[in-house]
Amino acid sequence: MGRQDRDTRLIIVIPVAFLAVALFLSGCIDQTSSPSSLKVIAAGSLLSPFAQAEQEFEAEHPGVDVQIEGHGSIQVIRQVTDLRRTADVIAVADESLVPDLMYRPMEGTNQNYTDWYLPFATNEMIIAYTDKSRYHKEITPENWYQILSRPDVRVGFSNPMLDAAGYRSLMVVQLAEEEYGDSLLFEQIIADHFPSTIIVSKRGTTTTITLPEIMRPSDEHVVIRDGSIYLLSLLEAGGIDYAIEYKSVAEGMSLQYITLPGSINLGSEEYADHYRNVTVVLGFPRFSTIGSERTGRPIVYAMTIPANAPHPELAQEFIDWVANETTKGRLGWPPSLKDENAL
Amino acid sequence: MRHQLAAIPLAILILLATVVAGCNTPGGDPAIKNWRLCVNGTVGKVLTMEDIRALPSVTGHGYAVSTTGARFGPYICRGVDLRDIVALAGGIRPGQQIWVSAPDGYLWVFDNDQLEGRGFVTFNVNLTEIPSPPLRIILMYEQNGTPLSYDNGGPARIAIISEEPGVVTEGSAWVKWVDRIEIHD
Repeated sequence: MGRQDRDTRLIIVIPVAFLAVALFLSGCIDQTSSPSSLKVIAAGSLLSPFAQAEQEFEAEHPGVDVQIEGHGSIQVIRQVTDLRRTADVIAVADESLVPDLMYRPMEGTNQNYTDWYLPFATNEMIIAYTDKSRYHKEITPENWYQILSRPDVRVGFSNPMLDAAGYRSLMVVQLAEEEYGDSLLFEQIIADHFPSTIIVSKRGTTTTITLPEIMRPSDEHVVIRDGSIYLLSLLEAGGIDYAIEYKSVAEGMSLQYITLPGSINLGSEEYADHYRNVTVVLGFPRFSTIGSERTGRPIVYAMTIPANAPHPELAQEFIDWVANETTKGRLGWPPSLKDENAL
Repeated sequence: MRHQLAAIPLAILILLATVVAGCNTPGGDPAIKNWRLCVNGTVGKVLTMEDIRALPSVTGHGYAVSTTGARFGPYICRGVDLRDIVALAGGIRPGQQIWVSAPDGYLWVFDNDQLEGRGFVTFNVNLTEIPSPPLRIILMYEQNGTPLSYDNGGPARIAIISEEPGVVTEGSAWVKWVDRIEIHD
């Protein structure tokens, strides 16, 4: 090779190599989406089962790196829509969020973020407690609402602004008011313990609970935390006596719990019309892409694959795998739906 | 002559790569140059980053945690006390609230108590709850001594800071990409 050829090659190779390194460092080349990586963004109550899914799916698929990231369900979807991140699988704790937020065109295209979803699991609300909980030897499925009404009991739930389990907790207490014929129940357990007014209005069979902007209780009877992990860590430490939670989460943490009637627990399709009688209006529209009203409906978990997912085939394998494992009734996993047909 | 010619594409590529990599100076960053903060209270104002940087700055330790337990930080955060920005909008009366929002559609609301650094849940680095030390809400524009990057919520985001390190606060209030601050009744 002559000196002139060598120089010519250097003129080409050095700048190209430099540019490649610079682009890599700048993040303009997606460093996380190698063919073997699978980005899964999931609701908080799915993180424990999905951590197991990650390990087992990887073991069955050598070379695949499943990356799980957790958020509240609306934030899960916003990662792809509003924040324009790429993901292979989206999994949320409220199936209605997928059509509401993703059945719309991706910016600059005619293609929707998705046009389908797989409803794969359900859940139900329960009252979790421990041996440290006040009156834990007295509480039963028949008297739980009376125990939670006692002034020296501390009741916790997630922030309704941030977590579906939060506004579902409010719905549970309101539905219990009707179930047990005690018209003061919502006030005694929740509303009386906030300095800002929680407005409960009734029209016919429908009850609307309107929350203040800031959900900060005025005494220790009610405790609110941003997410389940903080609430349940308080419960285990004795900082609260009872937490209104998802059954699968309580089981996953080996907590004791009281089950609630199907007419209250938001876990039964049979009572779908009844659940619709309660609406929670959040204090402010935290996200401009979705309104502030949340209406009672059976809890249904859903998964989908965004249209711009880097690895759609692997994503479909993961979804099928999770849906199949869900049917096995694994401890800490939300139970499967009877009808698993994609909508 | 041939060597001089070879230097031209190399120089162009170095310049291009530097810009792409975000290594240009903060003052020249179009995202910072074009950023505007709308402040609305009894007075309405539109502020540039230059205006914000001209206000008295505060520095402290910031550490956030997501609703699912993912921690972000610790950071050394520099910015402007939210009270100073609220003052530019005519101040706040008891019972009023501060609505902080961003172009991605995210909104968070603070009350007067929080503006004074009270009413936040705080954790240690192991996410065990601890009594809250004095806190401040700031509009952060520098993180660990460098201008806040877009990925971290820049040019400006909310941060909740303390004088002591290792104080973790709930991340839902750390609004990214802030472009609007309003006082509401």
